[in-house]
Amino acid sequence: MAHLKLDQISKKFPGVKALDGVCLTVFSGEIHALCGENGAGKSTLMNILAGNLQPDEGTLILNDKTEIIHNPHAAFDLGISIVYQHLSLVDSLSVAENIFANQQPVNTFGVIQFNELYTKTESLLQQLQLTEINPRTLVSRLSPAQKQMVEIAKALAKKPSILILDEPTASLTEKETQALFTILKKLKDEGISVIYISHRLEEIFLLADRISILKDGTYQGTFLKHDLKKDDLIKRMVGREINALKIESHLQEEVLLSVKNLSGNRFENISFQLHRGEILGFAGLVGAGRTEIARAIFGADNFETGEVMLENQMLNVTHPSESISKGMAYVPEERKALGLFPEMTIQDNIIVGKLTNALRGGFYNSERAKELAIDLKEKLRIVAPGVQQKVNNLSGGNQQKVVLAKWLLTNPEVLIVDEPTHGIDVGAKFEIYEILKSLAAQGKGIVMISSDLPELLGICDRIIVIKKGTIAGELSHAEATEEKIMALASN
Amino acid sequence: MRYRIVALIALFFLVRCELPSKNETTVVNETNDDIQEKEITNEEYVMVTTAVTMPMYMNRDQKAFIRWGKKMGVKISILGPVEWDVPAQINVIEEVIGTNPTGLLINGTDPAIAQVINKAVAAGIPTVVYDSNIPNANHHAFLGTDWYEIGIMQGEEMAKLINGKGKIAYMGILGMSNMEAGFRGLLDVLKKYPNIEVVGKFDSKASVEEAARISADLISAYPDIAGICGFDGPSGPGISLAVKEAGKAGKIKITTVDGEPEHLQLVEEGTIQLLAAQKRELFTWYGAQFLYDMVHHTNRLSQNDSKARITSVPYHVNTGLLRITKENVHQFMNVQEK
Amino acid sequence: MFQKIIEERIYSLLILLIMVCATASMVFPETFPTFENFSQILLNLSIDTIVAVGMMMLLISGSFDLSVGSVVAFAGCLAGLLMITFQMPVPLAICIALMGSIVVGFINGYLVAYKGINPMIQTLAMMGIVRGAALMLSGSGVQNLPYWFNAIGQSKLLGIQMPIWYMLFTVIVFTFLLNKTILFRQFYYIGGNEKAADLSGIRVKRMKMIGFVLTATLAGVAGILLSSRLGAALPTMGRGLELRVITAVILGGASLSGGYGKIPGALLGALFMGIIANIMVISRVSGYWQEIILGIILIGTLWLDKALQKKYSSLT
Repeated sequence: MAHLKLDQISKKFPGVKALDGVCLTVFSGEIHALCGENGAGKSTLMNILAGNLQPDEGTLILNDKTEIIHNPHAAFDLGISIVYQHLSLVDSLSVAENIFANQQPVNTFGVIQFNELYTKTESLLQQLQLTEINPRTLVSRLSPAQKQMVEIAKALAKKPSILILDEPTASLTEKETQALFTILKKLKDEGISVIYISHRLEEIFLLADRISILKDGTYQGTFLKHDLKKDDLIKRMVGREINALKIESHLQEEVLLSVKNLSGNRFENISFQLHRGEILGFAGLVGAGRTEIARAIFGADNFETGEVMLENQMLNVTHPSESISKGMAYVPEERKALGLFPEMTIQDNIIVGKLTNALRGGFYNSERAKELAIDLKEKLRIVAPGVQQKVNNLSGGNQQKVVLAKWLLTNPEVLIVDEPTHGIDVGAKFEIYEILKSLAAQGKGIVMISSDLPELLGICDRIIVIKKGTIAGELSHAEATEEKIMALASN
Repeated sequence: MRYRIVALIALFFLVRCELPSKNETTVVNETNDDIQEKEITNEEYVMVTTAVTMPMYMNRDQKAFIRWGKKMGVKISILGPVEWDVPAQINVIEEVIGTNPTGLLINGTDPAIAQVINKAVAAGIPTVVYDSNIPNANHHAFLGTDWYEIGIMQGEEMAKLINGKGKIAYMGILGMSNMEAGFRGLLDVLKKYPNIEVVGKFDSKASVEEAARISADLISAYPDIAGICGFDGPSGPGISLAVKEAGKAGKIKITTVDGEPEHLQLVEEGTIQLLAAQKRELFTWYGAQFLYDMVHHTNRLSQNDSKARITSVPYHVNTGLLRITKENVHQFMNVQEK
Repeated sequence: MFQKIIEERIYSLLILLIMVCATASMVFPETFPTFENFSQILLNLSIDTIVAVGMMMLLISGSFDLSVGSVVAFAGCLAGLLMITFQMPVPLAICIALMGSIVVGFINGYLVAYKGINPMIQTLAMMGIVRGAALMLSGSGVQNLPYWFNAIGQSKLLGIQMPIWYMLFTVIVFTFLLNKTILFRQFYYIGGNEKAADLSGIRVKRMKMIGFVLTATLAGVAGILLSSRLGAALPTMGRGLELRVITAVILGGASLSGGYGKIPGALLGALFMGIIANIMVISRVSGYWQEIILGIILIGTLWLDKALQKKYSSLT
């Protein structure tokens, strides 16, 4: 039975047609995967279902009744619950208060019944096999993965008949992902419709019953899982065939970056060498200390002992501005929070890497900045109407290219990239790999932190596995496999 | 060549630069804008004060001014900033001068307003200052009280109340020149009493809460404190509140200013021993009347007052003080209703 | 073109200003559109605008300073005290007073940037401390300041009072600095995303400190100008100035969350408020109503701005 039916939904934004006559039918008791590159219109569609946006055209039929969802509250009343990609939790409140936000149990006087709140939360967490989370803990103390699970619990607390998940596994470890899948399958058996959005195609084939595909705001069809092959799916999403990663090493002899016995907050005794032309992968579980190591090398955080040498020169830096001037660059993991100036233009975001490049006659010249930005925008194929566009309006992949463009401006010797393809669609991912490879070909050294194992296996010359702040092992390109990495990372 | 042009431009600017006149007190304007020759059109009297919403100003100065306007059947306006902001008062006066009112009634808040008063006078606008006099200004008349006297009256009464010995403190809005004059009067009296110890000068910030807080702290710091003097309106109720809460009403002597109903109430119940109150209604009523008389030549004393360098109204009026104690407090209550 | 007007507060405010002036000129043809009245309006807002330029810079970088009003009083009173009580020459007294303001800005900046104290709390505390210092220095104020000191603020150039020239000079210099120098452009990045700015190699802490020091310095300059114009240094100068200036700057296009704003916006915001206040004086709106009307205008303007932007983005 069709539980939810979207008919000819269209939505326009300034300059973009985000959705163009999209149709989608979701049955009760199925897990329905929604695929598409970033910018394909998945988020817009979800926001329409959640009541955050109103469609310009088209109808929404829920249980054979035409409904108009004016606001998130109306969506809630209709039993639609959404787990956002970006967390919506309040750090300063407890887990229980977050899960039951706006629907805390109250007595007749409207006073919150905290005991009931905690017991309800506890039983809910138990259902989700999250026994290690205490309902009274403040959310700020949880790990990113735990936060994600609490976010899911929050959505389930509303007892939805339709549950929408947007990239739920992005910050989850393998174990938690498995737990989530078990829960989702259980929900499905209870007759709940699950709409699942993910970039991880493996997951989709593991979990989904049916798969719907969007591309550039248009509907590309719905398929039973068994009728669709992975390559076929990618082709329909991207509209072209993507070459498998081609390994082509540019590794040179010369040591570019040498780290000796580095110890600091959440890591210790880290030693490694990075050569010219090398792409060095950093694998490990989320929270293993990879980001902390990168930040310490870059000078964003202090380290306690040890030394960092760049081109045989001691890199004694107290602030990123010094390491940047010595030829380092760092692309942070949280793109929006740490990498971008979301309300500023592409031009401003690129030129910030080296403001002095925009000088003309000693003064900042915005025409010069524009030229440089346009040049890099074309080089990296950033898709946007112009460099005066706010980066906030770009897709994740294009945003990441803007961050990379900023660093190309400084012409760094060593580039550290932290989860560079996190939340980026397949097409853009490959473009980013190409950029990294071409940098390696120019003799730069690249450290790539990633939780995406196929990606590490595909483009790294060497992979270092970090576990609990120490180096657990090192694998060459030839010997590395997913199993070996996972074994080192988790034991 | 380029330098020469730059130098020329610099010279031009230098030449076009006008410095202010050195001796401001001699600015006497004898142009056509003279009061004598001006025809009375759109007769309007404007009062410019600061802290325009201060209750005492509203209930006394402004009420009397409004009453006067109704009685005379002329238009009156009350302007000024809400905060105690002298520069803003000056700005308003400057802007009012441009609109050429019939007469200006200015609250003499600070000596710094002298310049703008002179500007008004020079523009031929009859100008009267009330409350505190402004030195070095050419206004046509002044009505007010001598704040030094307020200090003297409080000091003498306080000395009598505490029999010439003990600890006292005083408070007011610091940074206001009339208050400082009051403080000087108080201290000059107290100098004569070697057994009186002044424990401090405090800023009540024109707030009842602040005055109460300071007084409460004083009482706990000096349990034997004998008296507290207040120089701004809110300090009376503030000090009284703290003294009453400490259960020392009547024991700790209070002298302060203003005769608002709540002050009178506190005198009646014996918490405040003396109020040195101003006759504020007279400031603005007669101030406005002076303006009116100047404009209408009620009493012609010369062919041309401006050329004769005189004014046809009293130049300096001291309205004197109201001395309110328990004996006479009933006479001041419910005056408005009568 | 239309888009530019909607997106840039400077242009929309300019149009609003012209409309207000045209209306006022029709209603009060004799008193409003005169040279004297306009030079009076500009003179009256010159002090606020000089402070507003600093505040705009701080708001662009995502912080603000509540102590500017007190610094205005402090600088004026310190200069007055040095000239009258200590008989110091005018230039020396001015230098020391400006140094005093810089110290205040340095303390604010150091504690906010390097010690992580919330700017609101830090500058609120500083507001009280500095006001207290001004009171201590000058009691009821310093009168009869030296002639050459008064000449700074009371002279005229080409028939226009000097404070207006100083104001224009400040606006032009800082507009240039924020548009054309790398150092000052960094404020936009800090306001846009402080953490990203730090990782992009901008010395965020140092820049924040510079912002506070410059703001306090401009407030000090304003204080000296104000006391020179008054011929007296009053400890009550600049009361409520901080909120007036923040209001003007917000009207002029800044955002409390940082990243937005242009220096000329500070002048336009102050001008808008000055003209509204002037119209109220001319039309004899009683003082009781002025604050209420100003508040309504502020909310109304910002609401209109939001509504227009929304309307515009839904059109395309």
